[in-house]
Amino acid sequence: MINAIQAIQKYQFLIRLLIRQQLVLRYRRTFFGYFWTLINPLLTMGASSIIFGTLFKADIKTFAVYLFAGFIPWNCFNNILIQTSNSLLANEGLMKKIACPKIVFPISVSISVLIDSFLSFIALFLLMLLIQPLFSWALVFIPIAFLLIYFFSIGIALILSILTVYFRDLQYVVTIFLQVFFFFTPVVYRSDSLGSGLVARLMSLNPLNIFIELMRLPLVDHIFPDLSIIATALLLSISSFIFGLYIFKKYEKTLIYRL
Amino acid sequence: MNSSIKINNVFVRFKIYENNNLSLKDFFSKNFLRKPSQQDRYFDAANDISLEINPGERIGIIGRNGAGKSTLLKLICGICPPSSGKVSVEGKIASLLELGAGFHPEFTGRENLYLNGAIIGFTEQQVKKIENEVIAFSELDSFIDVPVKYYSSGMYMRLAFSLATAIHPDILILDEVFAAGDICFVEKARLRMHEMINKANILIMVSHDMDLVRELANRVIWIESGRVHKSGDPKSVIDAFTKFMSNGNL
Repeated sequence: MINAIQAIQKYQFLIRLLIRQQLVLRYRRTFFGYFWTLINPLLTMGASSIIFGTLFKADIKTFAVYLFAGFIPWNCFNNILIQTSNSLLANEGLMKKIACPKIVFPISVSISVLIDSFLSFIALFLLMLLIQPLFSWALVFIPIAFLLIYFFSIGIALILSILTVYFRDLQYVVTIFLQVFFFFTPVVYRSDSLGSGLVARLMSLNPLNIFIELMRLPLVDHIFPDLSIIATALLLSISSFIFGLYIFKKYEKTLIYRL
Repeated sequence: MNSSIKINNVFVRFKIYENNNLSLKDFFSKNFLRKPSQQDRYFDAANDISLEINPGERIGIIGRNGAGKSTLLKLICGICPPSSGKVSVEGKIASLLELGAGFHPEFTGRENLYLNGAIIGFTEQQVKKIENEVIAFSELDSFIDVPVKYYSSGMYMRLAFSLATAIHPDILILDEVFAAGDICFVEKARLRMHEMINKANILIMVSHDMDLVRELANRVIWIESGRVHKSGDPKSVIDAFTKFMSNGNL
């Protein structure tokens, strides 16, 4: 475990270059460049706020902000999982030729997704200002919320990246699973609108609830999250990260025989 | 400089999968339905290899295709972990298993130079230090900021070669890499290669070119079916090997 963190430190130059590679490659030689990352959340959010806002008879403007605060953490989680789980397979050729710690690949991919998410947060936030005033001191908490979500997601993503090498089907399973999981996560609806039946109780076990709250409280309610919420999120993030690293370290070595 | 390599009773065992990618379906049918899958077959690419390589040695590794030469190199580089046994290496290794392995076509020559340098394990300062020299040697000054996908294959090789040979490792590992390019470059490249070889504390090379092995090595190891078949002074091992090969194998 300590080794993994030392490897990350030692290879931070490589990780930095790989992150830059991901970010630059995505938009190089496209006309709209960075704008493309914004189109997707913008359209989804626009469409959902109109449809669900009408459906729930909510005020479209407030609802748009509510959706915005839900989509940002969801997209971050979703994209980290999808892109990172493929990171080892994508660098198969390299790993067979050069000995370097394999952890640099999932780490660099996930950090580039994190940066992307944060940038799209800023851009969407500026757009949101046109409809609603969002400024409050609680906004300082947003970067911390991003970090907590990041560590929670990377832990799961590290395990998925290993598993995908052993079971190639998993790339598709992850995408489908996340699509279903989206509906079990209170992104487009309020968790309290589910009542208090069995469904609501099951859904309250969803760990993403907490991470979405971390964003919603500062953005929608303009307050800092409770210490208890922060503590739970911290616990979830740390345990996910440590467990992910542990699994990754354990299987990293023999991985090469399955590529 | 005291580099050394010790390999003790190393096995590298590959499982031969009829279908290389174990799918979820296979996994479930094997573990839950107890349906026996095909009998697993194994292949030992390294079969109880023990070797000791001391400072100053120039090792040439020869053998037939598929005998396990490249596996041995990958063991030493740390790309493949041994299935059992122990490999210990002291000294900084650079391996030229494949030129330009980490190049990304969309990136410019300079960006690839940095990326590849970092993959090999360089720090930022170290890459900066060799940057100009590599560009000058590869004669790519006017193309260095062009994406490498627009390079001709000669230009590509020149960049990869210049970068790979800018490093001066303690232990140099070569797998049949010798330069490409026009006549002028080949001569230049040969000199640079020799310089790199001379500076290295230990050289390990795999080659099918017996004259080259004879020229560079002071000890030759003949690998046959994952074992060290013969090891010793270049002349006797190479003679035995060529005789063996011309006699129509086993």
